[in-house]
Amino acid sequence: MSFYDKLSVKQKQTLWAWGFLAVPIVFYVVVRFYPTANAIVLSFQEWNLLGARTWAGFDNYVTLFHDPVFWKVFRNTFVYLLIGTPVSLVLAFIIAYHLDKVRFLHGTIRALYFLPFMTSAVAMAWVWRWFYQPVPIGLFNNFLASFGIAQIEFLNSTTNALPAVLAPAIWAGLGFQIIIFMAGLRAIPKTYYEAAHIDGVSGWTIMSEITLPLLKPTIVFLVVFSSIGFLRIFDHVFNMTTNNPGGPLNSTKPLVLMIYDTAFNSFDMGYAAAQTVVLFVILLIVSLLQLRLLRDR
Amino acid sequence: MASLALKNLVKRYGKTEVLHGIDLEVEDGEFVVFVGPSGCGKSTTLRMIAGLEDVSAGEISIGDQVVNNLEPKQRNIAMVFQNYAIYPHMSVRKNIGFGLRTAKLSKAAKAERIVEVATLLGMEDYLDRKPNALSGGQRQRVAIGRALVRDPAVFLFDEPLSNLDAQLRTQMRLEIKKLHQRVGTTIVFVTHDQVEAMTMADRIVIMKDGYIQQVGTPAEAYHNPVNTFVAQFIGAPSMNMLPGVLDDQGLNLWNGVRVAWNLASSGPSHEVILGVRPEDLKPVAQSQAMLQGTISVVEPLGSETLLYVDIDGIEVIASGPGRHAPEPGSQIYLGAATDTLHLFDKESGVALK
Repeated sequence: MSFYDKLSVKQKQTLWAWGFLAVPIVFYVVVRFYPTANAIVLSFQEWNLLGARTWAGFDNYVTLFHDPVFWKVFRNTFVYLLIGTPVSLVLAFIIAYHLDKVRFLHGTIRALYFLPFMTSAVAMAWVWRWFYQPVPIGLFNNFLASFGIAQIEFLNSTTNALPAVLAPAIWAGLGFQIIIFMAGLRAIPKTYYEAAHIDGVSGWTIMSEITLPLLKPTIVFLVVFSSIGFLRIFDHVFNMTTNNPGGPLNSTKPLVLMIYDTAFNSFDMGYAAAQTVVLFVILLIVSLLQLRLLRDR
Repeated sequence: MASLALKNLVKRYGKTEVLHGIDLEVEDGEFVVFVGPSGCGKSTTLRMIAGLEDVSAGEISIGDQVVNNLEPKQRNIAMVFQNYAIYPHMSVRKNIGFGLRTAKLSKAAKAERIVEVATLLGMEDYLDRKPNALSGGQRQRVAIGRALVRDPAVFLFDEPLSNLDAQLRTQMRLEIKKLHQRVGTTIVFVTHDQVEAMTMADRIVIMKDGYIQQVGTPAEAYHNPVNTFVAQFIGAPSMNMLPGVLDDQGLNLWNGVRVAWNLASSGPSHEVILGVRPEDLKPVAQSQAMLQGTISVVEPLGSETLLYVDIDGIEVIASGPGRHAPEPGSQIYLGAATDTLHLFDKESGVALK
């Protein structure tokens, strides 16, 4: 009898399990864990991609702390998060709640909402960019002009640019959130509503006491998922402000774009790595905080 | 408390009519059970009484008021659902209290009422638990409690026991019956289980394909079924159905056996079905025998033994004694008292006796 035949059923199962797990583990170690560790090491070094890596201690972090652009970018990132997540979730819930009750063309409407999620962010960003152009090109300004309303500088104003960039980002994620919300709504047994109906409670009570509490797992998932998305926002900003990425005057620049800039325009790899580590820590804290706040109670 | 009346109640889904004119009067304080196979319209009828389904035609009255166009909450009914519909994120106290949300009572009065109902159901120690920390029977009690707390005019139960195991079902059956005797509220109870119907009901409503087949006390339905459907649906094991012809000589069974029958009450010669309940068909001496056959299977139940007897190609169930039952393969002579026999017209299935 061979070695394999002598193993117990349990041991054979373990052997197979580890056999299959080994492939992704090796893969993850090489493409994820090693670069992550390397980035953390790099954040304490100076490197311009070509020369030798030299130790810099906490210099990169100190520079970052005193960099006014970093704080501007830090603030922008949180504006994306704090506006993007609630607005997209509320919109997605309202649409899902009503779409759930619509029978007419249900599939088509759902597909329409899901379409932006499948579309490339680059293509979408450029279409929206065209929407935002001044008269006579831009859709929005043409529409406003037809009512005699003054033009709005969407992408060229330091106050309007961030919301203007955020809008298509919210719109793009809506389809996915609607699908998840609808799945959550479908999972609530109909008799819960019928029982409440018989008890004669108001629609608002049903919403706040039955629907929303029972949707909590769905909401937790979407809050964490979309927060990570908005904290890592990049492609929409980059494509809508290509001639001056993150502009005007860094007013739309998120952390990821700053990292990209530092690494591939300034070739300051150590500094970029320090920013990456900060982003990683922010993501970790925000996600853990949300899970803690929303899960337990 | 209130009476309930259904007048020519019809339900259509699009062009499909599923209820074809239901007429029923339920007296104040009565326990009425709707029973029938799945798809017979019993749950639909109940949901229409509750106001969860629109009435296509006809009239529903609770007390003296026609409620067709009233919202469920205005009908003053309470309903217990098959899956209990108790909210998993609320404590037992909040679940029971949910029915009081719209009641015009002070907070203290509501709290008192919740405790009162919980005590009635033996759930006073579980008020702060969540439903997932309760057993199936306890969840069932919470669901009943939520209905009870509002002191409704009519209680509606939609197959509330079908999710429980056999032992618990028997126990809850008894508890609901006791509860009814204590509170005295009118109850309409839907089930597909004829044993539940027989044991709990003041009156049984037997339904099939959107029609009421028979309305009567459990004893009436059991001893005087109006047609073959009721005869076979009520009682376990089912009534034996023996084909035959009624002619001027009396009853001539399919295998040529003659059974004395009073022709005067049954009309002219035609094809009929003779119904005999298994417990009425007993082993007898050869001289008194009506039928003769070979035992194929024996099912001992303790108090009695079910005998599956092959009689000229038809399998008949008879009941033998619990002790010293005959062996499979042996010949047996069976007889039944004349007043336990039921005769049905073969074509229409209607009872002739």
